[in-house]
This record gives sequence, C-alpha cells and structure tokens, in this order.
Amino acid sequence: MASLSSAEWRALCDKFTTAQNLSEVESRKDPANDPFRSKYKARELLREIYCALKSFETTEGENESGDQRPTEQPVDGEREDGFGRGFNGDSPAGLRAAKLGAVEYYLGVNHIETEELSAGQEHLMNCMKQLEKCSVSSENVSLYIHVRNQLGILWAGRDETEKAQGFLETAESIYQRYMKEVSLVLAYTHTMYYLAQVYKNLGEIERAATYCHSTLQRQLLLNQYNPLEWALNAATLSQYYITKGRYMEGRHCLSAATVIAGLAGEVPSEAAAQESETERERRDQLRQKRAEIARCWIKYCLNLLQDAEKLLQDNIGELDTERQEELKRARRGEEEAEEKDRKSALLFGSEDTFDSIASLEEKVRCLFPLDFTEARAVFLVGQTYVTQAKEYFEIDGYVTDHIEILQDHSALFKALAFFEEDLERRCKMHKRRIDMLEPICNDLNAQYYLLIRRQLMFELAETYNEMMDLKLSLANRQADTQPLDNHTIKKFNHLCSSSAKYFQMFLDSLCSPEGKFPERLEEEVLRPALVARFRVARLHSRLICSVPSAQLDNLNKSLDNYKYVVEYCEAHPEAVAAVETELELSQEMVGLLPIKINRLKARMATNN
Amino acid sequence: LGDALVRRHLQELNTKCVVEMEKNQTILHPAGANLGKGDSRYVFAYDFCFWSMDESEKDKFAGQEVVFQCLGESLLHNAFLGYNACIFAYGQTGSGKSYTMMGSVDQPGLIPRLCSALFERTVQEQREEESFTVEVSYMEIYNEKVRDLLDPKGSRQTLRVREHKVLGPYVDGLSRLAVASYKDIESLMSEGNKSRTVAATNMNEESSRSHAVFNIILTHTLKDLQSGTSGEKVSRLSLVDLAGSERAAKTGAAGERLKEGSNINKSLTTLGLVISALAEQGTAKNKSKFVPYRDSVLTWLLKDSLGGNSRTAMVATVSPAADNYEETLSTLRYADRAKNIVNHAVVNEDPNARIIRELREEVEKLRDQLTQAESLKAPELKERLEESEKLIKEMTVSWEEKLRKTEEVAQERQRQLESLGISLQSSGIRVGDDKSFLVNLNADPALNELLVYYLKEHTKVGSADSQDIQLCGMGIQAEHCVIDITPDSAVIITPYRNSRTCVNGSPVTSTLQLHHGDRILWGNNHFFRINLPKRRTRAAEDEEGEGGVMKNSSSSEQLDADGDSASEASSEVSFSYEFAQTEVMMKALGNNDPMQAVLQSLERQHEEEKRSALERQRQMYEQELQQLRRRLNPDRQSFMGGMSHSTSAQSRLKQWSEDREAVFVRSLRRLREQVVRANLLVQEASFIAEELERHTEYRVTLQIPADNLNANRKVCLSHTHTCTYTHTHTHTHTHTHTHTHTQS
Repeated sequence: MASLSSAEWRALCDKFTTAQNLSEVESRKDPANDPFRSKYKARELLREIYCALKSFETTEGENESGDQRPTEQPVDGEREDGFGRGFNGDSPAGLRAAKLGAVEYYLGVNHIETEELSAGQEHLMNCMKQLEKCSVSSENVSLYIHVRNQLGILWAGRDETEKAQGFLETAESIYQRYMKEVSLVLAYTHTMYYLAQVYKNLGEIERAATYCHSTLQRQLLLNQYNPLEWALNAATLSQYYITKGRYMEGRHCLSAATVIAGLAGEVPSEAAAQESETERERRDQLRQKRAEIARCWIKYCLNLLQDAEKLLQDNIGELDTERQEELKRARRGEEEAEEKDRKSALLFGSEDTFDSIASLEEKVRCLFPLDFTEARAVFLVGQTYVTQAKEYFEIDGYVTDHIEILQDHSALFKALAFFEEDLERRCKMHKRRIDMLEPICNDLNAQYYLLIRRQLMFELAETYNEMMDLKLSLANRQADTQPLDNHTIKKFNHLCSSSAKYFQMFLDSLCSPEGKFPERLEEEVLRPALVARFRVARLHSRLICSVPSAQLDNLNKSLDNYKYVVEYCEAHPEAVAAVETELELSQEMVGLLPIKINRLKARMATNN
Repeated sequence: LGDALVRRHLQELNTKCVVEMEKNQTILHPAGANLGKGDSRYVFAYDFCFWSMDESEKDKFAGQEVVFQCLGESLLHNAFLGYNACIFAYGQTGSGKSYTMMGSVDQPGLIPRLCSALFERTVQEQREEESFTVEVSYMEIYNEKVRDLLDPKGSRQTLRVREHKVLGPYVDGLSRLAVASYKDIESLMSEGNKSRTVAATNMNEESSRSHAVFNIILTHTLKDLQSGTSGEKVSRLSLVDLAGSERAAKTGAAGERLKEGSNINKSLTTLGLVISALAEQGTAKNKSKFVPYRDSVLTWLLKDSLGGNSRTAMVATVSPAADNYEETLSTLRYADRAKNIVNHAVVNEDPNARIIRELREEVEKLRDQLTQAESLKAPELKERLEESEKLIKEMTVSWEEKLRKTEEVAQERQRQLESLGISLQSSGIRVGDDKSFLVNLNADPALNELLVYYLKEHTKVGSADSQDIQLCGMGIQAEHCVIDITPDSAVIITPYRNSRTCVNGSPVTSTLQLHHGDRILWGNNHFFRINLPKRRTRAAEDEEGEGGVMKNSSSSEQLDADGDSASEASSEVSFSYEFAQTEVMMKALGNNDPMQAVLQSLERQHEEEKRSALERQRQMYEQELQQLRRRLNPDRQSFMGGMSHSTSAQSRLKQWSEDREAVFVRSLRRLREQVVRANLLVQEASFIAEELERHTEYRVTLQIPADNLNANRKVCLSHTHTCTYTHTHTHTHTHTHTHTHTQS
C-alpha cells in the first residue's frame, strides 16, 4: 500500500465521486439525442481509476504473485460461495483485489446501463474473479452481493431466469453465512427483492410472496422506507394472503399497514390544502392511501365472511347446522394452534410499533365466523372501513371507486344475511342492498359505465329474486295451508317482475348500438347472458296471475327464454360447458311447458 | 386494435431494411448486430399492416388515404352513433408517428382527415330538428400530472382527474373550446403544441416523455319541434400521442403494465408493482380483492375506451432500419400486448343451487301431472319421461359422457320405435298417400296423431316382442290381433280370442274388413284410426260392412250417421280421440250396462206410450171425421172439403207426433251423452284408484223420479242425478259428480 500515497488515494476517491455523480445525477439531464453523455464520461473516469489501481498493484504485488492461486474460473450461476480460499478479505492483498473488483463492478454496471450488455457482463465477471482471490469479509460482502445481484438482473433480462436465480441464491447464501449477526446491508434487501421477482417470473408465486414479505420486513428493520408507500405495499400483500385463505398473515399485513401509514403524519386540513399545492397534494395522498388501506380491510372482512359461508352452506346454499356444530367443536384446538402459527409467521414491526400492530389485530378475528354473532362482529368492522373508504372515495369525483365500495358493502350484507336465521330480518338486509345499489345504477351514464352497470343490474336482479323467495317462504311459514293473501301476492309479483326487469336490462345492455342482440356472445358475458335468460324464463313462470290470458302470456315468455338457451347452445356448442345444468333444465322445460300451455289454452277454450 | 406502420424518410435509409409486411403480418428479421441472439425472426399479426416505405412499389405502398379508410371511417361512424372512439399512436421518435397522425400539407394524416370528415358529416346531417356542435380540448400528461395545453395561463398548473356519474371521467378545469372547422382545430393544436414545447423547455422536460391527448367532443342535439324539448348525444373522439416508445419505460406511465415478462426491476420503488402482480396472479376464482395500484392517469382517463362499446385503435409506427432493431422489436411487442389491455369487468353471479333445485321440483311436478294424465293413454310417452328422469339423475356425470349417453339413448329409442313398427320418417299422418297405416288418437292435441304405424301384408299387433306393432298397457294381449292386406287390397282385421278389439266402437270377434277412417280400439286405451290409400276408401266399400253391425242398435244410429257424414267430408280431422272414445262407450251401452237397460226401458215405454197415445189421438180424429161425415151431405164438394179438413187434421196429428218424437229423441240423446261422460269420468277415477292401489270402486247410477217416467207428462226427464263414490279406507276423495238437467 505504500506506493499509493494518501494524496493519490484522495484524488482517486474524488474521481470516483465525480464518476458516481455523473452516472447517477447528471445523466438524468442528458438530452434525448445524446442520452448517455454523462454515463460515457463516468466510464472514462472509472477506466482511469482502474488503470491507476492496476499500476500500483503490479509494482507492489510482485511478491504476492507467486502464491496467487491458479485461477479457477467460476461458472456462471454456479453455487459457489467463494470463501475459505485466497487471501484473507481484510489483508492488504485482499483489500486490493476487492478494490479492483469494485471498479470492475462499476464499469460493468456502466456498460449495462448504456446498453452494452456483453461488455458489462465481462466486467462483472472480472469483478467475480477479483473477489475469488479473497475471502468474504465485512468490507467486501456488499460487493459480493452486489455483483451477483447485477448478474442476476443481466441474465433475467436475457430470459435466462434459472441462471439469474443461481447468482441471486448464491448472494443470499453468502449473506446468510457471513452476516447473520453483523451489520444490516442494504444490498441484501435488494437480493431479497430480486429473488422475489425471479420467483415471480418462474411462477413460484408463494416463494415470491415470501421474499416480498422479507423485503418489507428488512425495509422496516433498516428504517429505509416511505411510510405511505410501505403501508400500501403491505396492504397489497395482504390481498395476496387473503385470496390464499391465509387470514392471519393478511390481518398482520393490514394491521402493520394501518399503523405504519399512521407514521406518515396528520392529514393537512382543508384550509391548509387550499393555501398551498404541496399541502393539497399531501392531504390528497394521505387521505387516498389510507382510504385504500381501508378498502383492503373491507376485502379482508368480506372474504372471511364469504369463505365461512362457503364452509357452512349445504348444497343449496343454506346454513348447514350439523356442519356448524362440527366446526365449532373442531375450533377449540384451532385456537391454540393460532398462537403457534403466530410465532412462526413473519412478523413486522419494531419495538415501538409492535404493540400497536398487535392491538389492532385483536380488533377482528382471523378465524372463520361460525354463527351470527361472530359474523356480525366481522361485518361491523368491515362496515366501519366502508364508511372510512367512502369519506375519500365520494361518488362525486370517484364514481367507479365509490361504486366498488358500495358493491363490497352490499356483499358484506349478503354474507351476513346468510348467518341470519330470522327471515324477516334477512329480507331487510337484502332490502338495504337494493337501496344502496338501485339509485346509483339508474343514475349512471350507460356509455361510460357500461361494465359496472352490468354488474349492478345483475346483482339487483339476484337480490330481488332473493327477496322474492324469502317473502314466499315467510308467507308459507305463517299460513301453511291457506292460499296467499292479495297483499302478499302483490308484493311477490312486484319482487318477481323487478328481478326479471333487471335481468332484462342486463341483456339489453349487450345489444349493439342499433339495438340488436348479438348473435354470438362474448366470452366474458356468455354465462351471465345465458343465465340471465334462464332466470328470466323462470321468473316469468313464477308470476302469480289469475287472468288466464296474462298467464298464457307469461308462460309463452318463459318458454321463449328457455328456448333461447337451448337454441343458442345448439348453434354454439362451445357454450354448453358454461351452462350445463341450466341447459339441461331448459331443455326439460322446453319439452314440458308446451303441454302446460296447451292445457291452459284448452281450459280457456272450455271456459269461453 | 393494433397496427404497425413502416415509415421512414428515404434519405435516411442507409442501413439494411429488417422489416417486412405481408397482409396482416409484420415480420422482423434479425439484424446484423443482433445475430448473436439467434437468427430467429419475429412474426406479429395485427388487424392491419401498412407499408409506406417506397411509393414506387405501388402494390405494397399504403398511403394516408388507405390508413384513414381502414381506421378513421369506422371510428367516425361510431362517434355519430353516440359512442366514444380513441386512437393511440405509439412508436419510436422518428418512426413516422406524427406523419401518420398529422401528416403534411400535401399528405394530411389521420387527424386532419378525421376532422374534415367529421365537419362534412355534421353539415350533411344538419336539420331543423338536429344540430351538432364540436368542441375540443388538448392536454398533456407528464409524470402523471395533467396540464391544459389550450389554456395560455394554465400550462403550469396541474389539473385533477375526476369522474362524474353522468359525464364519465373528466379533467377538472380543462378548457373546452368550440370549433367550427378543421382550420380552427388546426390552429388550436398548433398553439397547444407551442405551449407544450414552451412548458417542456421551462421545466427542462422533454416532450417525448409526455403523452398528449387531443379530444374532440361531438354533441348531437335532437329537438322535438312540437313539444320544444331536446335531447343530447355526446361522444368523444380521443387522439392520443403516446410518449416516444424509447422513453415509455422511463416515464413509467404507459409501459409499466406492459413490461417484458422476465426483466427484473432494480429499484425498490417498484416493489409495489411486484406485490400487486402477485396479488392479482395468485387469485382463486370468485375471490374479491382490492389491489391499490392506481392506474396511470392516461389509462384511467381512457378507461371507457378500453372496454365496453367504444372503438379503440392503436397505431404503432416502426422504422425498417436495422439500426432500430431493438426499438422496433419492443414497439411491435408493445402493440401486440396492447390487444390485451381491454378492460374486462366480470359479472359475479350468486351460486344458484336453490333456484336450480326449485326448477327441478317444478319439472318433476309437471312431469308427474303429465304422467298421471298420460300413463294410461300413451305408454311411449311414459318411457320418454322415464328417460328424462334418468338424465336428470345423472347430472353428476361428465358432459362428454352425457352427450355420448344421450346419443346412445336416442339411437336405442330409435331402434325401439322402429321395432314397435312406428314410422320415423315423419310425424303426422300426411305421409304416404299410397300406403295403409294406423295413426294414434289421443286426448291431448300435443300427442294426438303423433305415431304412424305402416301396415304390411301381415301385421301382428300385441304386447309380445314378436309383434310388428307392439303395444302395452291394460287389456293388450301378447298376441292381440292381426291385420292383413289381401291381394285385392282389402284390409282385414282378425282379433285373437279374448282380446278386446273394437272397430268404430263395436267389439269385433271375427274377421272384419276395415275401411278408410275406421276407428280401432285395442285393449283399454289404444285408439287408432286407419288410413287407406285413396282408391281403397270407397271403391271397396260394401254396404253390410258397416251397416250390418249397427242397424240392430237404434241408439247408435244418430252417432253413426254423424260419423259417416263426417267421414265423407274429411276423414282426417273429424275422428278425434273423443269421438272414438264416445263411440266405444255408446256402443258398450248397448249390451251389458245396467244403465242401458234403464234407457232401453225408457225407450220402450216411450214407444208404447207413443203408440197408445197415437191410437187414442187417431180414434179421436176418426170420431171427429165420422161425425163430420154424418153431418154433411155426401156431396162431392163438401166431401172434398171434408177430405181437406181431414187431411189437415191428419197433418196436424202427424206434426204433433213428430214434434213429440223429436223432443224425446233429443232428450234421450242428451241423457245418453251425460251418461257417457259420467262413465268416462268414473272410468278414469277407477283407473287412478287402481294405480294408487286404493280399493275404491266408482259406478254411475241413474236416479229418475218414478213420476217422471210418464211420457204423457210435459216434463219427460228431469234431475238425473248421476253419482258417485264409495270409498273404503282412503283419505283422498276422488269425486265424480255430474249434474244433468234435461227438460222438454
């Protein structure tokens, strides 16, 4: 080291700083017609540094060249962790090798950034060779990891995902073997993140999610994160867990998201927002992100309820009480298991946030609700978040988001209704759904909101149908033997025709601008459209009607719709798989209804 | 969606051309520098490909006019229907994007052509009750911020993107300027472009990193002149100049979602994208989730253009030069992926298990009703229903299997029907005029005349498998009867012993010739009508065939007369099931029914009384005549007068007796009809009882008040109370009750 004076060393360091600045800061201002101007300048400086280092090395390293190990070419992606041979990483020779390696590394990155991939690869591999010469130490471990990260990115870009995986996994194992107890290296956070992407690209979604989780965890540990961004990422990750049915992890992500988002500070007042654009933007960002986290919570509650519903329902969608008992019995053991799971789960948080995250988690369970009381608790939490989300996503300005929240609210009610045993109250819950969806469905511009309106129309049709069935069961329960009274019939018919009306509206929305129903249904509306036809057919035959001619009319409409389903499937055999059961029944009805119609006609003829 | 356009200033073209176009395919050949990547070429297919490199290659060259015809015209048409349309332009700087969109003075591009056509059409369609207004807005999206390019002061201020339930997505505060011609639009655009450049210079930005969106808003006002009310149709035409493709990745706005699959994002700031992708990917069906990834302002603003009824075109421009290989490939890939960025909003339907179950119950119910009504009449139908039942039970079987089974079942049924002697050529009886066949009669019009059995020279009828016409059900013997066609074309029926066969209602025990239109009953409920070829219907007719059996029974005369006249008129339609059934009933009454005894005694009594009454009447008139004769001279004139008197007296007598007879016959016929009807009901009730294994017997009894049995009295028969039930141990009452009131 003696031959490199401190002044010379400082000059080299300055040169390096200039190169870094050119590469990272100046390059952003490069004009379009010369986009890499600064990068090229930086490259020149790096080359000069390399030459300087190299010359010092050769003058001084002669005595070492003798015991330099014969070079053993590392193979790309080979899982070798390069330790335990060569110089000690902290020895002068080791440090020199590491310095050369570092410059090679930066040259490699520079070439890659200027789209000279092969040259970049060569420099990175040179860096690897330099590192070969020395063992891993606290000084050079970052470089060890960085160079592999870069090679990982390089190979992934060439569609050689497995090769990339090799480099990144080596980086991971190097870190794990040497850095367990020592410092926290940001490069390793990157390794986690790159592995997450590699696994995602390989289709190993679960491993990818684990690495995303680790990335988030490390960001928190290293205190290198933007609270809002971090919170939103954690909330998004919760959606992955929720769809996988891992409610405990989902809840943990969400609780952490809420707590960390809280660290982003108070929402500026409206007055402050009007004063300055920065405040306005900050206010908007804070409110938006928190509302979005609230929407993630809604989905948590909704999926928990819906999954519980699926678990508890019998083959016609009613509460299976035997199953309910069985699950309740089985749960006693599960609660202990939860504690265990908890410990093994990847926990977020530092000392100061840990408690608040835990206390937030306690507000809602992550086990399936098994009866109305439990379901109601989940529902109420969900409803609170609905209110919260709607505060930001108002109808005025955020139509789509607002409606999506309404749809979730409606779905929460629907799931809760499943647990409600009192038919009257169940019916009222569905009425609430109608009240929140119907006005907005009719207000929306049919052109801009075509797709969302279709969803609303379908849901309204189904909800009216549900209410109709409930009203009928109620009436039958109250007066088992007596015929329905006029009021009930009127109510029933109203619900029945409202349901048919919305199914028909849905079907009408599929028509071309000229008002023609399509000959061939698009794939995403194929089943809904055929189901709507089928349901309209059913509803028409259910209308209660004492006038035979009107009755005949209804039966004919019913027959027409059943026929449509049958004929469509005959003309488009590929549709059959989508509506198997509906088709079978439609065929059946197409055979049977004419007989019913003929009877009615005969009866009408004799009465005339 | 998706076009690729090759365009290049010729003078720049000093490198190898690597792009080739064939119909709707664009082929990218490997360029020298990239040969290391393997020499495979890329082929992309789009809706249209336009080649505009060398105007001298006439068959290949696609000029501005062609591009407009392929893209512009349908978009414009849609706009006039009231739907939104959108054109995205994407491509490397210098690949001819602005040339395609704007063009030059001599070669105007898409936008000028679209606007000119738009104004032309508004002028054409302008009427008193229809008017059009055109407005434009122009904005720039840079770094997810929106700036108004038409507001001279506003270019520094960023605008908010919002959504309105009626207006859709909109930019809050964006100026909308009315225009009357393409000239106006042109000048506004160029002004906007100036302010775009100024802003970019001021803020040290590059215009190639921003998107520019030019909107043309067409408002179509329809006025009802009478009521004075008016309605509006608003459609929007968006022309989007996407940031230069070489910068798209860096601007992040357009490219993020379309990024190459295997690349690794270096910066941790993209962690959110990766997590979002995981949350979207790892989704089981029917799971509801919220991925708080904000769409870029651009995709958000144009979301209605990316789904639903809007028409959207994307124009991608590429350079054919080998130098631009990488950019060209990425542009072509981008355009290829753009085909998939259409919005799909899925309709989530509720599970409809309960509705299915209810409908299934209804199907069962309908089928039960049908079975009950038809079980005795049409066993074939019953079989068909049983098959359907099987089908419904086999819901769990896979569809392919079901299809196969259905096919098998159908074939099996076909074979069965064939073996039963049923013709499969066609249903209905209008087939084969030159053939002899039987056609079934059924109470239900839907089932009536459905089955046609052709007769061979020797046709065996019965329930056994060996029979040509296989019937089953009550009263059908294994070998029931034989129908032969003789060499002289006569059709002869020969019933077996103890098998019930009726022809035209009368039981047949020995060989009998059949005639066109004859009704045949086998067993209890198999009614058929025979159809013979035309020449056989009347030519071979012989008097005694029909008349012989029937003349003995005066009570049948009326019916037979009806039947005959009908058969002469049109034999096909008139012999309904009811007719055949009544006929059998009526004739059965003639023999063993106790009811018949009553009726016959009534008739005899009537005859008796008629005779004695007539006798008394005659004696009365005789007496009168005698007296008259005695009182008058036996002079010729007065004799003549007497004679005339006597004639009138006699005709009066005749009139009286005829009237009386007619009334009686009518009453009696009506009574008989009532009895038949009652009998039918009772029979059905008995069958049902038997089916249900209930030991209930039903019988018709006739109660006639004794004092009504006097033919001399004005009221002949009244209050014929026919009734009803005797039930043993059942709780269900089958109640047959007819109430007849006959008066004369």
